[in-house]
Amino acid sequence: MGADDCRTIERGDLDAWVSRLLAKADVIAPVRGHGGDEVFASVVSPEQVLWSFRNPLLPPKHLLLPQTDTLTQIRRVNGHYQIESPPPPQPRILLNVRSCDAVGLAFLRQMHAQDLPDASVLRRYDALTVISLACGQPCPLGFCVCCDAGPFLKADFDLQLTDLGDRLHAEPGTARGKELLDLAPDLFRPAHQADGEARAALERQALASFGKETCHFAAAMRRISTRRVAPELWAKLSPWCLECGGCNFACPTCYCFGVSDRSDGIGCTTRCRTWDSCQYAEFTLEASGHNPRAQPAERMKRRFYHKVSAQYFQRDGRVGCVGCGRCVQVCMGTTDMPAVVGAIRRGAWSPGRPA
Amino acid sequence: MNDLLVPSIATILEQRDETPDTRTYRLRLRDDGEAECFDFRPGQFLELSVFGAGEAPFCLASSPTRRGNVEVTVRRCGRVTDALGALAPGDEVGLRGPCGNGFDVSAAEGQDMLFVAGGIGLPPLRGLIWNVLDRRESFGRVTILYGARTPSDLVYKQELRDWGAREDVELRITVDRGEPGWTGNVGMVPILFDLVDLRPETTIAYVCGPPIMINFVVQDLLKRGFAVDRVISTLERMMQCGVGKCNHCCVGSKYLCRDGPVFSFREIRELWE
Repeated sequence: MGADDCRTIERGDLDAWVSRLLAKADVIAPVRGHGGDEVFASVVSPEQVLWSFRNPLLPPKHLLLPQTDTLTQIRRVNGHYQIESPPPPQPRILLNVRSCDAVGLAFLRQMHAQDLPDASVLRRYDALTVISLACGQPCPLGFCVCCDAGPFLKADFDLQLTDLGDRLHAEPGTARGKELLDLAPDLFRPAHQADGEARAALERQALASFGKETCHFAAAMRRISTRRVAPELWAKLSPWCLECGGCNFACPTCYCFGVSDRSDGIGCTTRCRTWDSCQYAEFTLEASGHNPRAQPAERMKRRFYHKVSAQYFQRDGRVGCVGCGRCVQVCMGTTDMPAVVGAIRRGAWSPGRPA
Repeated sequence: MNDLLVPSIATILEQRDETPDTRTYRLRLRDDGEAECFDFRPGQFLELSVFGAGEAPFCLASSPTRRGNVEVTVRRCGRVTDALGALAPGDEVGLRGPCGNGFDVSAAEGQDMLFVAGGIGLPPLRGLIWNVLDRRESFGRVTILYGARTPSDLVYKQELRDWGAREDVELRITVDRGEPGWTGNVGMVPILFDLVDLRPETTIAYVCGPPIMINFVVQDLLKRGFAVDRVISTLERMMQCGVGKCNHCCVGSKYLCRDGPVFSFREIRELWE
């Protein structure tokens, strides 16, 4: 999609546009929740949609991986089991998702597309239209710039909006995004050169506002990938982890899950995929009682190996982090991504072990 | 494209008690089309569901050279295995798979085959042994070394007799503790190495059993001159999805359920995180 495809919409026309989106599909957007927090939720009326907001504490990953995900229901009919598949997902529009979360969704999609593809996740992604709202003003805890996940997107969106004050710049990333603009030719006008320049200036300003201090993934990746993180570092850091799993559940890219069967006691079993945390001791506990990662230090080491090692980077095409800063916000023990990556970088080099 | 975590229905055709707590189940997919298409390699595993109790991974204990024969041997040790033990022939279970890489049988053709199993570690090797014996002419010498805690913990007693009676198979059995009437070997599996003619240069050793037994056996084999890529074993971790997605069984960037569970000792040495 080129500059010719870009449009602008007046701020006053946004509600009219959201009304049309609502007529087309379920719209999920950051809204003010009952307790006053910003949350991703289905929108009923256009004025609920927040256009200036703190990024919700929970990312929209539940749209692909619900916390409890019904995979199938198994019923006993006339002495035989029958497998019932859940209905296919309905089209949904995710509006005003931040760049980091849009990248997180694309990452989750890729995780479930590679090797053996998981159709249930791919169907949900295919039914989802992603309208992102670029971050002209990066959030205080974010470090998306270190993870190639913002503040503005180059891919992983259908439509990218940029707030230019009295109007919004709209840039389609896919044919589906272009269709959304074509649906409302009366609301979207072709973007002028000045609009494109204003958007570019905002992006430069946003990038500059991160300053020089960034999260040092490259240094940490080198050490983790070559076994040069001293074991003492994990021993020192891990007592600070409360093993609450908060970092996993608030992370847009964490996707560890468990599979469990829930029985209603009268012949119907529901197979669920539920969020799990690699920081829980039970995560690797075997039926024999053996636990290969019984120590918190081993589990923390595992988490950062999965997210930051070159071995996983090679496999997944990116670090398992989008720099949203949520782990910084939720971690009560300061064992969040930037803190641990910083500690690895500053820590004494371990001589390493022969491969 | 399938929903990876949704099982098919299979029927228990037959079951046989191996020991007081271990039972072999013969299964068939209920859908005839699925049953005909079902193919696997020895060393692969199934995800078996007892509806209402849950799902767990079990190695395939049968050989693809005997079609229609899908067998698992299960020791009761938890929720799912207890519920499985309460079922009877004709009952239905859920089945996903086959999962994992399995043994590369064709790569071993022409080689001498050494099977070393401990306790409930014989079932994963049983499929491979059948496969080798069904194509006996393609392989060199076949040696089976098997150890269990007590004589009553030995699984596949009839097959052990059959294999022992064959002239083209060398079978040695030991138990950790004898029982009245036991006249065989007593001691851990490695004591059997001195009773057979090991030829490390031409032999591939397949080792399966509890982690501690694997450790002792592998160290012993290496000391006796086996190269690291001539020692093959299967690894265990808590597996859930069986398709390399849920991350429970990872070691480093390997998924034991997908990249394994069969690894050479060379590969095992390189597993770290």
